[in-house]
Amino acid sequence: MFALAWASLTHHKLRSLLSALAVGIGIMLLLISRGLANGSIAEVAQRMRSVDAELVVLPAQDNIIFTNGAPFRAGHERYLRQLADGSGPLAADVIPVFFGQVLMGGQQQRLFGVDPAQMSAFLGPRRVLAGRVFEHAADFAARIRAGERPPDEPDDAAWDTFLADGLELVIDERLARVGNYRIGDQVQIMGRRFRIVGIVEAGVAGRVFAPLQTLRAIAVAGEPQASMYFVKLPPGRNTLAAAEAIQAGLGGDVRVELKDDYGRLLHESFASVNLYMNASSGLALVACFLFILLTMYTNVIQRTREIGILKSLGVSRLGLLRLSIAEALLISLGGVAIGVVLAEVARLLLAAARPLLTVELGTGGLLLAGVIGVGGGVLSALYPGYRAARLDPAWALSNE
Amino acid sequence: MTPDWIIDVRDLHHAYTHAGVVEPVLRGLDLRVRRGEFVVIMGPSGCGKTTLLNILGLMLAPTRAASLRIAGQEILSLPEAGRTRLRRQTIGFVFQRFNLLPTISVRHNIALPLRLRGCTVDGQVDALLERVGLADCADKKPAQLSMGQQQRAAIARAVIGSPDLLLADEPTGNLDSANAAVVLNLLSTLHRERGLTIVMITHNAHLAVAADRVLHMSDGCLLD
Repeated sequence: MFALAWASLTHHKLRSLLSALAVGIGIMLLLISRGLANGSIAEVAQRMRSVDAELVVLPAQDNIIFTNGAPFRAGHERYLRQLADGSGPLAADVIPVFFGQVLMGGQQQRLFGVDPAQMSAFLGPRRVLAGRVFEHAADFAARIRAGERPPDEPDDAAWDTFLADGLELVIDERLARVGNYRIGDQVQIMGRRFRIVGIVEAGVAGRVFAPLQTLRAIAVAGEPQASMYFVKLPPGRNTLAAAEAIQAGLGGDVRVELKDDYGRLLHESFASVNLYMNASSGLALVACFLFILLTMYTNVIQRTREIGILKSLGVSRLGLLRLSIAEALLISLGGVAIGVVLAEVARLLLAAARPLLTVELGTGGLLLAGVIGVGGGVLSALYPGYRAARLDPAWALSNE
Repeated sequence: MTPDWIIDVRDLHHAYTHAGVVEPVLRGLDLRVRRGEFVVIMGPSGCGKTTLLNILGLMLAPTRAASLRIAGQEILSLPEAGRTRLRRQTIGFVFQRFNLLPTISVRHNIALPLRLRGCTVDGQVDALLERVGLADCADKKPAQLSMGQQQRAAIARAVIGSPDLLLADEPTGNLDSANAAVVLNLLSTLHRERGLTIVMITHNAHLAVAADRVLHMSDGCLLD
């Protein structure tokens, strides 16, 4: 049957190619949307794992991707630092992060507001490739810690003087390369002009760092608020037990998670977006398989006489159904192959046009594409195959 | 001794229904054909010849019949799958319009009945191609052949599996006289050499000379 199916497909080359191309486009959409989600999540998770801490403390909300503002107040950080059991303090260090947004490198970046004194926890072994990790921001942070407050009045000159040392940025080399940023370049954030003072090796938790105190001064009038905390445990502490103890201490408004679970949390948070993307690409795929169904159905109509010939030779109804399935299967397999190639091309194009996006075409995605392609192809062939099988042989033979 | 009837039809009726109007085509037809016999059925257009052939070839179920036995099997009680299997194993068709599959080569067309039966395709296809004078055209598609060549290929496909019964519906209807003579000669030779039972429908009285028996049909009944 496969030989007959193959002969039929090669006899109608253009129609077969268009059908396979339709499936291929659907498969590519599926692979790219999935690969984009998985690649971005994997990359962010890996970067977050680079922070020198064991736990993350987050607002008790389902979605950690669309976290806005800084819901944690000073009391949370103080409480985290004071939490202790019989073995001593639960936290060796508490590292607050204040999230903002900045448009750099052609796309929105999450801005990490971190205390300059704690920057080493984010850097780890990564080198500073150009400039320094904050020049004057440490002095600014020290002044804030000493009790200096932002001006009460919206006096630009007073604000400029107050913030002068704090308007510094550190970026990673990937963003620097994509955006062609150099030391000394200025970037507008929240109405202020920040200056890039350092470029560090890629792999750090954020692509853009600013002094925590500066963002607090601009966004929340200097209140010691935070978007999340990293918690570094004392050596030898059981991570799970510490997480449970901190969770119990902070109550239900807060969720305490292992830092290594951040990828899972991202996946969970992305589920709703993913659902939309999968639904979109799934609908595209359904349209593609409807194209196969239409092709196969047209085949039945156009090749009624051939079906009659096959019936006259004694091909059974099941045989005709198998023939229809074999043709659809071959189209689908070709479509899957085309889809994988198109997805790889799209990945390369995306990498060139949007270098900060990561598309991951993993084995799982390719297997899924194969299963969906083959399964969809077989399903699309069932009705046309059934119609072919039910044709009256004498009528089919007399068909023009 | 009871004759070995390969076709034994009693009181065969068939009618087509179009838009609620019933149009009888076969009206109580009786037909018996011995194994190895070459029977030609002649008659005017619309007398029911092709309908009869379709019923004998198990491509069409009759409206009613007292008995319809093909190759010893009672067809009236046979389910669709059984009729398809019997057709595959017992009957070969030659049509006026050749009916070769356009998507595959002549060689594959001829080998198809063997493949459908699950038989090994060995030298028989080449031998038969040689026999019908198409050895040079084996790898061509049917559309690349002349009409005479196509009909010879169709005959080769019909007889490759050594069927018990060959049904030919106006096999020379689309051919010129020279090709018609070649085809008739081929059928006669196969009948003679292989003892093939042939039931052939034709308008052409010249073709009847090859037959053991000529039957005339009119208004859905056989006259002789």
